[in-house]
Amino acid sequence: MTLPILPTTVVGSYSMPGWLERLKTEYYARRISRRDLDEIHDTAVKAAIKDEEMAGLDIISDGELRRDNMIDYFAERLPGVQIDHATKKFHYDLYDSKVQGKLPSGPLGLVDDFKFLRANTERETKFCITGPHTLAKRIHNEFYASEQEFAMDLGRVMNPELKAIAKAGAHFIQIDEPYFSGFPEDFEWGIKALNALVEGVEAKIAVHICYGNRYGKPSWEGSYKYLLPGIFDAHVQQLTLEFARRGGEDLELFRELPPRLELGVGVIDVKTQAVETPHQVAERIRKALEVIPAERLFILPDCGLLHLPRDVAFAKLSAMVEGTRLVRKELKH
Amino acid sequence: MILQLNHLHRKPAASTTQEVVDTLYALLEEGRLEREQFARLRVHLDWIQYRQNFRECVMTMGPTNDRRGESHPEEVRIDMRQVTPGGLRDALLRTMMAGHAVPAPFQDAVFLEDFRSFRESIAWGFNHLYWHRLADWEEFTGRSYDQVLPGGKSDANHPGAVADCVADFWTLLRDLENRKQLPEEIFVLEIGVGMGKRSGLWLDRFRALDTERGTKYYPRLKFLLGDYALATLERSRPAVKDHLDLCSFVVVDALNPLKNLAFLRHKVLHIHLTNVYDNLPDEEFARREGRLYAVQVRAYVPAADARRISEESGIGAADIPRTVNRLLEGGPDYLSDRKRGLVFWQEVWLAMRLEERLVSLEDLPDVALPSGLHQEQLEEALEDAPSEVRFHMSSGALESFQNTVPLLHPRGFLQVQDIFVTNFNEYRLGFHGPGKLDGSIVNWVNGVLLREVGERAGYDVHFAPFHYRPGSRTSILYTTQRE
Repeated sequence: MTLPILPTTVVGSYSMPGWLERLKTEYYARRISRRDLDEIHDTAVKAAIKDEEMAGLDIISDGELRRDNMIDYFAERLPGVQIDHATKKFHYDLYDSKVQGKLPSGPLGLVDDFKFLRANTERETKFCITGPHTLAKRIHNEFYASEQEFAMDLGRVMNPELKAIAKAGAHFIQIDEPYFSGFPEDFEWGIKALNALVEGVEAKIAVHICYGNRYGKPSWEGSYKYLLPGIFDAHVQQLTLEFARRGGEDLELFRELPPRLELGVGVIDVKTQAVETPHQVAERIRKALEVIPAERLFILPDCGLLHLPRDVAFAKLSAMVEGTRLVRKELKH
Repeated sequence: MILQLNHLHRKPAASTTQEVVDTLYALLEEGRLEREQFARLRVHLDWIQYRQNFRECVMTMGPTNDRRGESHPEEVRIDMRQVTPGGLRDALLRTMMAGHAVPAPFQDAVFLEDFRSFRESIAWGFNHLYWHRLADWEEFTGRSYDQVLPGGKSDANHPGAVADCVADFWTLLRDLENRKQLPEEIFVLEIGVGMGKRSGLWLDRFRALDTERGTKYYPRLKFLLGDYALATLERSRPAVKDHLDLCSFVVVDALNPLKNLAFLRHKVLHIHLTNVYDNLPDEEFARREGRLYAVQVRAYVPAADARRISEESGIGAADIPRTVNRLLEGGPDYLSDRKRGLVFWQEVWLAMRLEERLVSLEDLPDVALPSGLHQEQLEEALEDAPSEVRFHMSSGALESFQNTVPLLHPRGFLQVQDIFVTNFNEYRLGFHGPGKLDGSIVNWVNGVLLREVGERAGYDVHFAPFHYRPGSRTSILYTTQRE
């Protein structure tokens, strides 16, 4: 599948409809069955895929609508992680989860999620996984000597799943590591854990690093300076970063990005409901083009869209696609 | 009949309680009350905290337009403070015998509006006028706003509370600095600064602490004083005269601070409000026998007061509503001379009452919950509430909260010093407004719903009693990151 110049995609999640939130809560209250919830998820994911296609994206995700949040979906699937199911009031809250012994290996059940995505779109796809550093920060470690050791083992245990997803046809996998920005002091070993996760995975790998999006607000502030030069040790082919909300000041840092690395540039602020115009988007892309050639530039929102209402999310994606088209035209001339 | 005493602290209420029971039985025996009507009575004996309020001595309230034809309890509310010896029987007869359609006290009252949500009531127009013409009001009454507060001064300026707030903030800055995450510019926002006393105290204290600990945070401060009008902000300037180079004065709509301050989104490390939420537009809801109702109100001036105002002002009683509208649009000057306008304003405000009725939510075409509050959250909050409860929606406060927290830096915190109901059960233990505080409205704030809205916005909302002054009714709301 050939992608156009400046390919457009999402970071991962799409707008979580209010009715889906409510039905998830109904499930936790045992008022609907697992089977019903699975069907509801299938329907919601198909709708998200359709919206992404209609907005005109080149690379489609499943909208991550099966996931309560970026932690619990994985914590529940990781063998050896214990979860206190009584600790959560709202589906987006996090469970209290902990690990008390060495993580055993085992399938995580993510391959089926990818196959469902693959079966429901003819466009290029991207599948997203929460990275080991972020998981190690949220799952309470009561066994490993350090968080680093825990994260390395998470990478080891999750690696076969990534290989299986790639084998099932995923050409493009994104690892989400927002907690790097909150804990830059962990960055060196966080990259090692990330490399353990993606070792031998035959797909293009992106790493997404933002400043958090819990409850639709940032969790930290700062500068991407901490990424350099350590990020060059990461065995990935693309960095996907947040620039729209933060004003693009850090873009300059990536002028010397090695040619083997692409940059996914955030041009949509996902923490406000104000919808960007295509011209605003185009301006942000032009600014990015000043530091990185078009051949290595991907166009995305700053982060997931799950906290935005569906109409706003759709309008933002449409503006992003339209703004990208404007710049593509300029590049042709 | 169910008799409910919604007050706990006034012993003399017991004798009034007996008087209420005796009077109602007498009316039953005289045949003035039907047996079936008597059985359905729910009599609430309230101790109205605010001596100036919107209640009659006796009021009835029942659901309107019940399409199911169900028989509902008849609610009678008696303000114990207004009960005069020997006057209860007449007040009860006058109110209850008239039925709900046209309650007797209002037959020849002068209505200022049609039934509507309290939030939409003309009462808030008076509140708005008070704050925008505060200087006129204070000059006329000879009292400043602070002097009419319970206790004669504001808890906002308590040095101990300010010192603790500063200490917490300094600790946050130190923590951020240790993590190399302290921004170059340290933004602090105070909304509703009034005379600026608290801002001045806060800045004095912060500078002293910073100097004492040698941390050099003070010069990096950007302190924003926010209030609803430039004229008000001017009054706050002298209180911060020693810190003017760090201060900015900004007009802020307390319902939507984000509107004017969007450029500070995710940048402000500390936001503080004192006695703002209790004065924001609000509405009430009630649950009766499992069903949810909106409380609608209609403002009126009782007939006797209308006659008196008419005689004093030379404005015909029928012209009072039109004159009130002119007053609210243009202020007291529009009534030919200011003094006459001020007298009219004050007299109407003091006399104004609110008739109430319950309207089933199913009968309302459009029930909009406050921004940030989802229906399932309201239902969940009510799961732990008494089965029969009337409560504030605090829509203005919820809206303000929802439009304030996006200004917070990811590690920043919000503090709100105000009067909060933190548990639905408290609504059964006392009356929590609305009352009249001089020319403004005062209303307790529903902290339970604020907690719900906070959770969805990514904040845990906590309430700490204001322990700096014994007997204070205020609490301090503070937020922490919901991880």
